[in-house]
Amino acid sequence: MPTVEISHISKSFGTLKAVDDVSFDVEKGEIFGLLGPNGAGKTTSIRIMLDIFKPDQGKVSILGGPMTEAKKDHIGYMPEERGLYQEIQLEKCLVYLATLKGMDQTEARNRIAGYLERFDLASSRHKKVKELSKGMQQKAQLISTLIHEPELVIIDEPFSGLDPINTQMVKELLREQRDRGVTILMSTHQMHQVEELCDRIVLIDHGRTVLYGPLDDIRSQFSGHAVVIRTPDELPSLPGVEGIDQHNSSSYRLNLAQSTDTQDVLRLLVERGIRIDQYEIAAPTLDEIFIRVVTADDQEQGEGL
Amino acid sequence: MIKFWRVAWHEYSRHVFRKRFLFALFSVPILIIFMVILVIAMIIMETSVKPVGYVDYSGLLAEAVAPPRVKWPDQTIPMLAYKDETIANADLQAGKIQAYYIIPEDYLKSGATKVIYLDKIKGSAERQFASFLKANLLSNQPSDIANRIINGNDIIVRSTDNSREASQNRFINILMPIIAGILFIVGMSTSSGYLMQSVVEEKENRTMEIMVTSVSPNQLMSSKVIADILVGVTQLVVWAIFVILVLVIGSNYFPWLRDFKFSGEMTGIILAVMIPAFIMISGLMAAVGATVSEASEGQQILGLFTIPIWLPYLFIGVFIQNPNSPLAIAMSLFPLTAPMTITLRLGFTTIPAWQLIASVSILVISAIGAVWLAGRAFHLGMLRYGQRIRWKEVISHQKV
Repeated sequence: MPTVEISHISKSFGTLKAVDDVSFDVEKGEIFGLLGPNGAGKTTSIRIMLDIFKPDQGKVSILGGPMTEAKKDHIGYMPEERGLYQEIQLEKCLVYLATLKGMDQTEARNRIAGYLERFDLASSRHKKVKELSKGMQQKAQLISTLIHEPELVIIDEPFSGLDPINTQMVKELLREQRDRGVTILMSTHQMHQVEELCDRIVLIDHGRTVLYGPLDDIRSQFSGHAVVIRTPDELPSLPGVEGIDQHNSSSYRLNLAQSTDTQDVLRLLVERGIRIDQYEIAAPTLDEIFIRVVTADDQEQGEGL
Repeated sequence: MIKFWRVAWHEYSRHVFRKRFLFALFSVPILIIFMVILVIAMIIMETSVKPVGYVDYSGLLAEAVAPPRVKWPDQTIPMLAYKDETIANADLQAGKIQAYYIIPEDYLKSGATKVIYLDKIKGSAERQFASFLKANLLSNQPSDIANRIINGNDIIVRSTDNSREASQNRFINILMPIIAGILFIVGMSTSSGYLMQSVVEEKENRTMEIMVTSVSPNQLMSSKVIADILVGVTQLVVWAIFVILVLVIGSNYFPWLRDFKFSGEMTGIILAVMIPAFIMISGLMAAVGATVSEASEGQQILGLFTIPIWLPYLFIGVFIQNPNSPLAIAMSLFPLTAPMTITLRLGFTTIPAWQLIASVSILVISAIGAVWLAGRAFHLGMLRYGQRIRWKEVISHQKV
């Protein structure tokens, strides 16, 4: 049974339809990407999932049924708009938020001590939250999301404000959580992070689902008949190649005719003495897919108006 | 339920253990103590213990009895008899006395005396000489008649069931409900202000979104209101202890404080009015906090509620003259003016039962309405960061 089942949810605010018939499932123990441009309806979908907003239509099932107060203790949520009490000490703030997730103070204190060490925040435990840098507050927020060992983690833009070292640490932490069987729903604009971490994604635009499924399937669905090669030599014209796009001084994309076999192109290059540093089937990046889908959707919406 | 109390304790402790709260808590008693010390200091400074002389041509003070004892902080001024004005004047010029009175031969007929001084005679010297003269004029009268005349009238107005009484000389009983009313309103205004600030802060800090994924919005709001009431109660208890200490200790020095008579009925009425009023104001403050985007904006709206709450004080003269006027009744029935109007009227009249029942009922309904309004405003406004919610939206049928 999926950890999260979203079934045909819709939500309007006045005349604005923020979410329009969105459906997706998040399976247990996977990292699931919730993607979409700004204002696409991601945050509204998350808030409906968490029962902060009631949907106008549709059904939400979390951890095997409708949301209850007891289930809140098994969910960790890190919203895009970070929120910690600024005027109180970091440790006190984290302990308070942990106790609201059903933990007792001693247990919370012990676990927080471990996390503070790991996130290099131990020396700041007695500082007021407002005295911490943005990155430090971000890490503190992450501690607050994970401290009660939730079954489901919903995390909005987990890498914003983090330097490369901390980004790497957060990625490791998310993988570690997934390996422990925790289900993670991650919303982000950083497509390369999604490519690295997520198993499946849903892409929402204008409140509607425009892409949904395993990441590999989506990429192959969008891959054209082309190869990417890296070579220090100049490329000659080749039979079966309809066009060559040069990306930089040594990288080329070769668009092939439908009847051309990629192995034949490789053989031809070798025969002509072209030195090849890299040769691979061109699959679009998630960034490219995102731009392509969203642009097409925007045009469609524009025409529809 | 544990979460409810955790949130309530968190809210309570973050206000009560802050320096600014402790400052506000103790500033009221400290200010009152300071004012009392100032008044006493002024009385002492104003009193010159230099003797006052008198030249008695009437013979009324030939065998003068000692002047009555003065009450602290006044100090006794000796009264010196002079045979003639020349000696008295010489002593006045020499600075041995601060003034001297001339009591003419026909004093009993004219009732007039003359006072000679170089620097204007102090009020305390005038008062002490007057009571010295009065005591001597009445020295031949039986003590109960003498005391009766010295003390003057004491008209006591008593309710038919003897449960309440008012007297000109027992003004402390009139003053007490007014003081209690002021303390209640100050207490509930400040603590409700904290509640509003806490809601706005959670919106500003974006903490609200985290909170509602741990506790239900209703639980969050009700625990905040309870914490707010407890903060107010803490203030009131500290101030009540202070008032009791003033009554107990002060009655040793100020006999008029001994006239205070605790009235269970009056206390009951004040509590019946103030408790729903407190909840109503808390609800309104929470609703304001949920609808505004910045604390400063909330402070401005706060004024809209504060003005009607304090408005009855402007009409205190009208209430004294006619505590049962249509204006007084109307203000007793309007929820925002009712708490103060009722406590003001309590000192001057016996408020008819129907008015009390109607006022308390209106306040209870208003309290329920305010909490409902706060809940809706909270649901609508909690996640609209940086946006102000229109009141039209709060009271509309919009699904939240």
